[in-house]
Amino acid sequence: MKTAIALCNEIRKGLRFAWSERLQILIELPMFAVFIILLGPLLGQGGNIASGRVDWSLNSQTTSAMIVWFVPFIFFYMQVVKMFWRLLGEIQAGTLEQVYLSPLPPWLVAAAGRVAAAFLETLFVAAASYGIVSVFVRIQLHWSAAALLPAFAIMIAAVGLSLIIAGATLVYKRIEIVNDGVLMMVMIFSASALPLIQVPNWWAVASHAFPLTDGVGSLYNVMIAHRSVTSAWGIGGLVPLFTVSTAYLLAGIGTFILGERVAKNRGTLGRY
Amino acid sequence: MSTIAVPIAFQTRLVRTELVKGLRLMWRRRSMVVAATIVYALTYLGISLFIGGGHLVKDLMVRTLPALLAVVVASVAAVEGTAGIAEEINGGTLEQTRLSPASPQLQALGRMTALAIEGLAAAIVLGILFVFAVGLDINPHPAALIPAVLTILDALGYGLIMTALVVRVASIGAITHVGNMAIMAFGGMLAPISVFPHGVEIFARFIPTALGVQSINTTLAGHGLGASWSDGTLPWLLVHTAVVVTAAFSLYVINIRHAQHEGGLSPR
Repeated sequence: MKTAIALCNEIRKGLRFAWSERLQILIELPMFAVFIILLGPLLGQGGNIASGRVDWSLNSQTTSAMIVWFVPFIFFYMQVVKMFWRLLGEIQAGTLEQVYLSPLPPWLVAAAGRVAAAFLETLFVAAASYGIVSVFVRIQLHWSAAALLPAFAIMIAAVGLSLIIAGATLVYKRIEIVNDGVLMMVMIFSASALPLIQVPNWWAVASHAFPLTDGVGSLYNVMIAHRSVTSAWGIGGLVPLFTVSTAYLLAGIGTFILGERVAKNRGTLGRY
Repeated sequence: MSTIAVPIAFQTRLVRTELVKGLRLMWRRRSMVVAATIVYALTYLGISLFIGGGHLVKDLMVRTLPALLAVVVASVAAVEGTAGIAEEINGGTLEQTRLSPASPQLQALGRMTALAIEGLAAAIVLGILFVFAVGLDINPHPAALIPAVLTILDALGYGLIMTALVVRVASIGAITHVGNMAIMAFGGMLAPISVFPHGVEIFARFIPTALGVQSINTTLAGHGLGASWSDGTLPWLLVHTAVVVTAAFSLYVINIRHAQHEGGLSPR
């Protein structure tokens, strides 16, 4: 009971933070839609661009696949980036040590406070991006409850990655550029799950190690390719999907605990 | 020593002190600087493969590589600039910097010079890496140094504007992200801005570093500075850089003074 109350309090605190950051969300909102609209006609057009000929029309199929690719990425962005900045703010202000007054483990305090807020923020930004992009081109998605399964796995993986970044933040503090870069790589490598471009073999193999690839692949299978979500193997298969997500969550918890231990030993948990 | 030379020597020393402080801080987080450089390299490689449909299109990369280098300088200036000030506000040390005889603009000059060195170091490593590893046929032309210097100043001006906003705007993290993404998308790293639809190209010309990258590309293509001047890119780059740098220093001074007056230099 005490644990449930503490958990609810953290979630409520996270939602309050999210509300106080509503202007940030509004500022970031157009970024994703603009990126989809701009990147769509450029994908795979390197040769044409070099010779100065680009067809700037948007293809419905490509854009639909890009929506399936970008929406989970928005959740990653909301979870990872905002958790990093909040944690850094608490370290700099010296209030992080107060999490040890909670009956919850510190990694759970850090993660639980963000995940519900990130979910709601993603719903808002994804809906707005969908609306903006659909003004320019028809988006064809097959809405199905089965998509909730990869969505859940994606959330687990995002929490795991955010805890890895948080653990590194406890030790190295100002890692904002690395944080942004890691997210960019997660986004780029996850594209190999979609038939947008032909990727080299090494890229396809390496992409499985990234936390978003199989989640995007599974969403694509359900929402565009009309395939079953329960197939075990291949890109988006249940086995790689949940193996990778669980591995990221465990690695995240481990990294956070390790980072916390290092910071405690150095006496830098709440101060530089 | 003349009465004018003394204050100049003193001010130079104040700037140098800020610069050295910035470089020492950079050295302390050198592992992060190296990690960030690797991440930039992988990001550019990924985007190039994306645009090339799984292949590296060297003819295109020759024209987008200068934009990557500009993105690196601008991102480092903006992200590290804002994070540095936010850190000082949260830690309560920004107020202490006002005890220094250095004016806010001199402190900003020192800070931005240190960030320029950090950004340029990463950009030079990346430039050499891609030219030699991918085999890009870029002919370094001395004339390209002029738009290159203006582009760096433009990028630093953008970084200082973001830094100046920290003391006034709570949503600075989001604004910096959007700004950096805009420079990446519209500054020529995905595709040269000359291939954008006309309206988008006009919009892109207002984005920091975009004009500079276009001017560098024109010069590196062997057309010389004259071509860049006659097509209007270089004059507009001069105007853009002058406006951005002036606005950045003015905004920084105004915001620091305002925060000092309102008690905003320490945690809110």
